[in-house]
Amino acid sequence: MKVLSKIQSPKSKIGTVLFFTASAIFVIFAAISTAGSSASDKLTVYVVNYPLKYFAERIAGDHAKVVFPAPADVDPAFWMPDTKTILEYQKADLILLNGAGYARWVNKVSLPRSKILNTSAKLKGRYITMDETITHSHGQGGEHAHENVAFTTWIDFTIAAKQAKSIADALGRKRSALRKTFQKNYKALEKDLLTLDQALVAIVSKDLSKSFIGSHPVYDYLARRYGLNIKSVHWEPDEAPGDAEWMELQTILKTHPAEWMIWEGNPMKKSVEILKSIGINSIVFDPCGNVPIEGDFLSVMLQNVENLKRAYR
Amino acid sequence: MIDSFYIAWRYVSFNKIKTLTLVACITLISFLPVALQLLLAESERQLISRAVSTPLVVGVKGSALDLVMNTLYFGDEVPELITMKASDRVMETDLALPIPVYVRFRARGYPIVGTTLDYFEFRGLKMAEGRQIAVLGDCVVGAKAAEQLGLKVGDSLVSSPETLFDLAGVYPLKMKVVGILEKTYTSDDLAVFADLKTTWVIQGLGHGHQDLTKLQDPTLVLKRTKDNVAATAKLYHFTEISEKNIDSFHFHGNTSIYPITAIIAVPHDAKSGTILQGRYLSKEETHQIAKPKEVIDGLLQNIFRIKNVLDAVILVVALATVMAIVLVFALSLRLRQREMQTIFKLGCSRMTVVQLVSSEILIIVLSSGLLCGAMVLLVDQFSNDLVRALFIR
Repeated sequence: MKVLSKIQSPKSKIGTVLFFTASAIFVIFAAISTAGSSASDKLTVYVVNYPLKYFAERIAGDHAKVVFPAPADVDPAFWMPDTKTILEYQKADLILLNGAGYARWVNKVSLPRSKILNTSAKLKGRYITMDETITHSHGQGGEHAHENVAFTTWIDFTIAAKQAKSIADALGRKRSALRKTFQKNYKALEKDLLTLDQALVAIVSKDLSKSFIGSHPVYDYLARRYGLNIKSVHWEPDEAPGDAEWMELQTILKTHPAEWMIWEGNPMKKSVEILKSIGINSIVFDPCGNVPIEGDFLSVMLQNVENLKRAYR
Repeated sequence: MIDSFYIAWRYVSFNKIKTLTLVACITLISFLPVALQLLLAESERQLISRAVSTPLVVGVKGSALDLVMNTLYFGDEVPELITMKASDRVMETDLALPIPVYVRFRARGYPIVGTTLDYFEFRGLKMAEGRQIAVLGDCVVGAKAAEQLGLKVGDSLVSSPETLFDLAGVYPLKMKVVGILEKTYTSDDLAVFADLKTTWVIQGLGHGHQDLTKLQDPTLVLKRTKDNVAATAKLYHFTEISEKNIDSFHFHGNTSIYPITAIIAVPHDAKSGTILQGRYLSKEETHQIAKPKEVIDGLLQNIFRIKNVLDAVILVVALATVMAIVLVFALSLRLRQREMQTIFKLGCSRMTVVQLVSSEILIIVLSSGLLCGAMVLLVDQFSNDLVRALFIR
């Protein structure tokens, strides 16, 4: 009875109410603060091309918001972001660059060095310098050239895997608690990339003497890694080549008897037909610099591999 | 008492030159040590606070003081230049974040600080107006520099040529003011900040011009071969970077060998800082790594040694001045013997004479005190600028 009376005393009631109210407030605040911190924990990663976006998303999973702000209809290599977009890049936790001179706009804007990761910085020795460099001179600087380095590094899938590794390491440095998760995700991505690599090695090794024409000089890394014999012209898939372009092709064909032309995107029907009439078939190997209309990086590359298989049948 | 004050007032008003001389002497002798103390305290505050907040500075071997003064306070003395390779070297150690700084050029008398965005985060600089630098040619201006130059967001600021007679040299660059910084009461208030690449454009290492391979005007082409196009001096170089011509801006050669004056190295922790310092100890090393606090401490020790000498000099001068004032009053009393006798004859006591003289002294001392106070207030108000003008240049 004494115990019951104690429990039911008004003082005790007030104490109990106060205790529960305080506990409830504490729980609510704790929940709010936890929710806030987990949201802010999500890394914001800005990238300069789609392959890097794909790699970062695969590695980071839900732990990062990966942003690639280039419009769908532009080539990100030659795109120039507006001021608003540059300021957004500046606020990111991590900015992923492709390196090899890709996205020249990077040299014309201010980005925080501490947040920049050049994913191919450790592979500088593997960069390919293109022959088509015109030097010029003016003023005190004397003769100089604007060096042209081939930048579609990721279509050599071994380089792509290394770029992905540097992304995984950088993400791990930013969120050390998630390092193991990032490395695990990277391993899965590396496996996919190296499977593609081996598939291409197997296909091309069937006939190393086969010659190709590249519709654009973007296949340097592909050619070097897999032993493809490619000479390039400067044709756009969605534009009909002019007389000068056809003449240029004829000149190349005299010393480089190719039976296949590799296109960056689906070519115009008319171009395909004219090429066919001179004994050149068309296949598409999309470097996938921008977000594909359908599928993702891996599915596009798998399709590329399938397309290339046609040339070796 | 009021009568005594009135008579004393009339006396000091009548003897204007004597009074003014006495007031000036007392004012100066009391003002000098107080003002000196104020300025030294302010200079110590400015120098130490910035030095303490800057962990390490990497630069060319030579005067550590010049290096620190240029890097921290944007002083006039430009240390020998180093290259961006030195910054890459710090980055590769993974021991510290390198913040390259290039303080060489000026715009209307204010230093242009070429750096990266990390500098703003490191110093905690915030925008009062406008936005952060985003593209080549953008600049943000320190609060006081903007105030003194009358600049606002959207205005232009032209870089000054390094030498007046460098007529064939690099064209000045017209920069766009995109932001004004909040006041920090540090050297940052008096600086113009631009991206490192913009300062390289000012130097002429990067520039924009018409595409030489597409030139139609024959007077612009000196020689054209298959691999090279040589332009004549007539080729127009852009002196302002705009959305229209930014694509034409380019840098010649490898930017890793481009010049900077120093690197602020921000170690990840104390241990990393110590290891990094150890990397610059070899005799063959061409760079030095300085701890700004130690350099500034050394400078301040010298300043305080000089201050002690100055204090002693002021003490002796003060003593001499006080004695001179006593002499002036003694002689003055002697000269006023007849005046005193008249006062006695009028029936006044000796105390009245004492009251009169005391009132005169009080009026002179009070006037000096007021004047000295006003001058001290003035110095206190402008101590920040005065220190910058007198000590930190």
